[in-house]
Amino acid sequence: MNVDFSPELEAFRAEVAEFFATAPTPAIREAGRKTTSVFAPFDQCMEWHAILAQKGWAAPHWPVEHGGTGWSVEQRFIFAEEYRKADLPPLLPQSLGMVGPLLIDLGTDEQKAKYLPPILAGKDFWAQGYSEPGSGSDLASLQCRAEPDGDDYIINGSKIWTTYAHHANRMFMLVRTDNSGKKQQGITFLLLDRVDYPGMEIRPIVGLDGMPEQCEVFFDNVRVPQSGRVGEKNDGWSVAKHLLKHERGGSAASPTLVHYLDRAKEAATRTPSPFGGMLADDPVFQSEFGELHADVASLGHMEKLAISGHPIANDPAFPSLNKTINSELLQRASTLMSKVSGVGGLARQLEALRVGSNVEPQGSEFDLISMPLYLNSRAASIYAGSNEVQRDLISRSLAAGV
Amino acid sequence: MEFSFSQEQDMLRTSVAKLLERKYDFDTRQALVASDAPWSADVWNAFAELGLTMLPFSEEHGGLGGSIADLVAFAGTFGEHLVVEPYVASTLLAGGALAASGTPEALEWIEKLGSGEAVLAFAYEEGNGTASPEQISMQADVSGDCATLSGEKRLVIAGETADAFVVVARTADTSKLGFYLVEKGASGLTTNAYKTIDGRAAATVRFDTVSATTILEDAGEALDAVLTKAVIVQSAEALGAMKSLLNDTCEYAMTRKQFGQPIGMFQVVAHRLADMKIAYTKALSTLTYTTALANSGVASPRDIATLKGQIGKLGREIGEAAIQTHGGVGMTDELSVSHYHKRILAFDAALGSYQYHLRRVGQMA
Repeated sequence: MNVDFSPELEAFRAEVAEFFATAPTPAIREAGRKTTSVFAPFDQCMEWHAILAQKGWAAPHWPVEHGGTGWSVEQRFIFAEEYRKADLPPLLPQSLGMVGPLLIDLGTDEQKAKYLPPILAGKDFWAQGYSEPGSGSDLASLQCRAEPDGDDYIINGSKIWTTYAHHANRMFMLVRTDNSGKKQQGITFLLLDRVDYPGMEIRPIVGLDGMPEQCEVFFDNVRVPQSGRVGEKNDGWSVAKHLLKHERGGSAASPTLVHYLDRAKEAATRTPSPFGGMLADDPVFQSEFGELHADVASLGHMEKLAISGHPIANDPAFPSLNKTINSELLQRASTLMSKVSGVGGLARQLEALRVGSNVEPQGSEFDLISMPLYLNSRAASIYAGSNEVQRDLISRSLAAGV
Repeated sequence: MEFSFSQEQDMLRTSVAKLLERKYDFDTRQALVASDAPWSADVWNAFAELGLTMLPFSEEHGGLGGSIADLVAFAGTFGEHLVVEPYVASTLLAGGALAASGTPEALEWIEKLGSGEAVLAFAYEEGNGTASPEQISMQADVSGDCATLSGEKRLVIAGETADAFVVVARTADTSKLGFYLVEKGASGLTTNAYKTIDGRAAATVRFDTVSATTILEDAGEALDAVLTKAVIVQSAEALGAMKSLLNDTCEYAMTRKQFGQPIGMFQVVAHRLADMKIAYTKALSTLTYTTALANSGVASPRDIATLKGQIGKLGREIGEAAIQTHGGVGMTDELSVSHYHKRILAFDAALGSYQYHLRRVGQMA
């Protein structure tokens, strides 16, 4: 039972901070400041990914033999903290956090050799094709069909909420290969080498924040090789459940939240309180801010326990606990931010938000991002399994006596 | 005690509702917001033809002498259709200030407002928001009927296209709040136009020693009265948006199926719908009662703070619940759900957020 604050760690912190102060281009920094979603602006994000990969720091959580860093828990957290302090765009989770770790665990040697290096290098970006128009929370009811034909599958159907599919060059997806049994049976996990197969069409969806972040993907007799299968035929549900552990857990989200709270506090020192003085000195603001800060701290403690291998992370409900806590804190933090902006957050400023637009924002840079972040984060309690479904899973673990 | 609308008020609501059903379906509205036009001139003319732009002005000012209850009677339809025309800003806020002034110049502008010929902007909000008139810091250097204004105003609805501005500023020597009139294109005026998250044309307006006419030097009481009227009418608009959210969300929850049944049949969703209805019922009650108080001339500052606070807080609850219940489609620009929520958010931020007003209630209660 101890927490390491050794001088070596401070040297590590200085090394990381130095790299973050020098390596990113101005455009990458701008993208970091203009990130109003879990998903950072694509081009600069991938550019930054490649720079981190060259340094060997793109995937700290991967095993060393596949390009991970082999850092201690403390080092991983220090890295995450310095990352957020530097306000750099977070790397996209689909490849590094989802399909990559999945392939490390369950992929064939051939799949690992082919797909892991370009993921690590930031050359490939994978879209996640799970949800369908009729299958959201009830994902197992998915209907997008893959019929075997020789060495191939012929895919028909559609996917929706496929984040950044319009930027992706590859895609992993769940397809229905059998309809005879329970709905969870008969699902197969597939890797698509390309997203421009004949018969495939990707249509971006404009979100409530005005950004085309999500997509619909349509399949009309799309022929793909069966060699892209991960796991056994009709066993895709257990493959997806394995991947969900990576999607809903094992991350360090609290440094991002701390960073948002820091920004809110900083903006509050410049914002007059309607009750006199500055908002940051207003006891009501301080009380709300303190409650949120303490809750974020608890999430940070939980994440550190989990990364260190504490049994808390073996709880079958842990991914659900993590996702629910994390998403609701993100919503609370962004709500606080948009309230600090007040009427300053009411301008719709899509051009000023675009990296490289050189459009002066109305008001401060904080006001530029607070409302889009609030709006975008409404999705956090919907995506990756709605929080209603997560709470069902958490309560089920209690009923099982865990 | 009587909380029903009169037959005339019901008729007024019906005619506005019919007009908006004809001219303001959601897709038409979205195309308008996406265009460069600040609002629809055609709809604005139709409002004028219906008498809406003349309604709140007294008969001696050439108006129809409409009451606050008359305004509330139809304002809900503006919320249901997410109207972007600057009715509250121009007719009620700027127009109300002109009416309180009563100078010959003000009366000329009232005539143009009433006929629909002119639109005026009300330059009030500053910084990250002006929860109460006490926070106005913009200065007016007054000399007789003239004044020089310097400072910045935010969220000036119709700020770029308005024919003139009514500016709320503080006199340098007496520190009194006054109304000042600035014509479009006055020297030293810079407007930085944008559209708000809820689709309205707005601007940040800088006044750099701009010459203005003093239309009311001591406007403290008049300002309170004008803001009170605007808060009530915007609350009625917000309630219209809340009603649409409640209806649309219930309909969605009863049609969208997951796990083999409508999601509204799941207790967790059913209870959220119930909470939305509870919130809506509270908001409807407080709006109706406060309107009746104001119509009788007895609404206190605490009553108005209660209304503004409750509408903002309950509206946010309903909006967030509506998006959550709709799931992914609730996050899209294509559906009206998020647009109703953004209207509620924008109304909450303007003229003091719910947290400000509810804390004021606590202080005054």
